[in-house]
Amino acid sequence: MSNRLFAAGVAFMFLAGCATDPIPAEQIRLTEQAVAQAKAVGAVEQMDELVLAETKLAAAQSAIADQDYKRARVLAEQAELDARLAEARVLTSKSEAQLADLHGKLNRLRKQLGEQQ
Amino acid sequence: MSRFLAAAGGVCLLALAGCATSPQAQQALEQAHAAFDAVKDNAEVLHAAPKDVIRAGESLARADRLSSYSGSDDDVVHFAYLSQRYSAIATEHGKLTQNNERLAALELERQRLQLTLREAKLLSVQQQGALLDAQMASVLTSNTDRGLVMTLGDVLFDTGHSELKASANRTVLKLAQFLQLNPRRIVRIEGYSDARGDAKMNLELSRARAQSVADMLEDLGVDAKRMRVQALGEAYPVAENASSIGRAQNRRVEIVFSDEQGHLSDER
Repeated sequence: MSNRLFAAGVAFMFLAGCATDPIPAEQIRLTEQAVAQAKAVGAVEQMDELVLAETKLAAAQSAIADQDYKRARVLAEQAELDARLAEARVLTSKSEAQLADLHGKLNRLRKQLGEQQ
Repeated sequence: MSRFLAAAGGVCLLALAGCATSPQAQQALEQAHAAFDAVKDNAEVLHAAPKDVIRAGESLARADRLSSYSGSDDDVVHFAYLSQRYSAIATEHGKLTQNNERLAALELERQRLQLTLREAKLLSVQQQGALLDAQMASVLTSNTDRGLVMTLGDVLFDTGHSELKASANRTVLKLAQFLQLNPRRIVRIEGYSDARGDAKMNLELSRARAQSVADMLEDLGVDAKRMRVQALGEAYPVAENASSIGRAQNRRVEIVFSDEQGHLSDER
């Protein structure tokens, strides 16, 4: 009796499994990592890409709660790249600020040298 | 007749191309193609982020493939989105690499200019000879509370201005040399003013003068991290403010040295 129940259970799980994707746990982990990394390099909460990433990550997590694993995976994949773009943009803008600073210092030096001669 | 044929052909083509994709999916595909076209032949981007460019291409190919099946609009939009993001990330990495290369080149240029400036200043000091000693432009004192203190007098600045005069060269060079010989020592550069005029303006002038000493030292190769700048304005006069001589003595920049371990006395 319990054997038959078990078989029915397995059959049901198999059928259900056909229609749904697995839980995208690994992808969620990657996305969380990417968001944390973007924040670690100094992405601020107002940044468009970071807002997108965090909103989609939260939506992906609630999709998992609703057992809509395909939607969760899609959202998490997009959120990962949103976060990576946020990180890349922060790094670029930092290097631009460094460049501006260095240009200022070079101008000052050239001015000094001009006065010296 | 031929116009009719052309129109009919156009409709057929549209029907074929559009068989599986909504306008929204079509638009997403076009945007992803445009983004990928911009990075795929860009040597700098390819060099900086080859993996992201490859992934942009793979995602785009997948979106293209899916667009020929019906009912896959959401997937088309998704992979087009991923492709576009990969292209954007690759673009940013390309910019970053370029900026870093530029930074390295400018840093070399900066070191070269610092060296040139040091040499130029040394030369001008030699030309000015002993004249400066008589001016007593700078005085080194040892103060029990604050440690070693060097005072740069008002004569080293133009009246009312913050720029150092050429006559400050010797002092500043000595300072830079001293700091290079004592790499663990740090300094606090304090600006002071006399009490004539607006207190706020005086505070600003004292800050600007202290900062210009710090800038000059940085130009000569002293790491900015070793210098702190503090404006004290009219506070702590060393002479009375009633006479012009007293006021001139009060307008000064003091350099407070740390001990050899890098410990600086407390701020005033």
